[in-house]
Amino acid sequence: MKQCVVLGLGIFGASVAKALVEKGCEVLAIDEDEEKVKEISDVVTQAVQADATEEKALRALGVDKMDIAIVSTGEDMEASILITLLMKELGIKTIVAKAVSPSHGTVLRKVGATRVVFPERDTGVRVAKSLATPDILEHIVLSPEYSILEVHAPKSFIGRTLGEIDVRAKHGVNIIAIKRKLPYLTDTGESDFKEELLITPGAEEEVADSDILVVLGTNKKIDKLRKL
Amino acid sequence: MFRKEKKDFKNLEAKIAQIKDRKEKAEKLIELGKFYFLNEKYNEAIGKFKEAIKIDENNAEIYYNLGVVYESKNLPDEASQLYTKALELNPGHQLASKHLEKIVGK
Repeated sequence: MKQCVVLGLGIFGASVAKALVEKGCEVLAIDEDEEKVKEISDVVTQAVQADATEEKALRALGVDKMDIAIVSTGEDMEASILITLLMKELGIKTIVAKAVSPSHGTVLRKVGATRVVFPERDTGVRVAKSLATPDILEHIVLSPEYSILEVHAPKSFIGRTLGEIDVRAKHGVNIIAIKRKLPYLTDTGESDFKEELLITPGAEEEVADSDILVVLGTNKKIDKLRKL
Repeated sequence: MFRKEKKDFKNLEAKIAQIKDRKEKAEKLIELGKFYFLNEKYNEAIGKFKEAIKIDENNAEIYYNLGVVYESKNLPDEASQLYTKALELNPGHQLASKHLEKIVGK
């Protein structure tokens, strides 16, 4: 089981801490703000109010024995640089630090961060992409040429089977999964739906209005498919 | 697992057309809308729920159901507007707030 320390419990730090717990990691969460520590204490393995720039305090908490450190005090640049440096000196192998600007990121790398993240910049790019191309729900770049994309089922596919559409031969891409919504009525008679993931769907599978297709192929071919 | 109902939709539509009482008519339209939804006939379901709204415009139930259909059709913007409207009319509508949170975020 990996042991992680999260230093700084703002929205970013708290989300990382919670997600790490969900993934089965042991998480030590540290912040100066008592309220923030209290809020997360039920979720993480241990939550402590402490000054993360104090080496003695960190050693007493066993931070030097952690596998991963997440330095999420981005807004306070001085503190984030100091803490990153301290993590390096404590001998932690993986140090992920949150940066608020490119120059901040450069400094963090220089003082020992093994990975620098820019949540604001990355979210900005994602929001712009989702507004410019609302039919693309997820985009995983495999190489400069190949991608896996989640797209709404093109209108011309609806009601036809994958065999009839024959995307591999006609469009040069593979449908590796279908995300499908299954309508049902709740116990109280309300409409609702469940989501089902069909992995490597067979040729007999009929494409429905509500389907999201997960396609793998070259960017060019996928682009053509989206325009159908 | 819910077993899909096999109903004679046309027959039902004809019956509903004869109903005079507004409240009853709206209820039957909602019922029919739900059947269309269950049979993945989303556009027909939208039509029925919209008809029902014309008769009973302050019924949170209809806005919620219509929202679910739009969400099923991968139209989250339309869906979130309808869930918001459902919650305006009935702030305690748990399913509407659950779906709205999923789309808009907490």
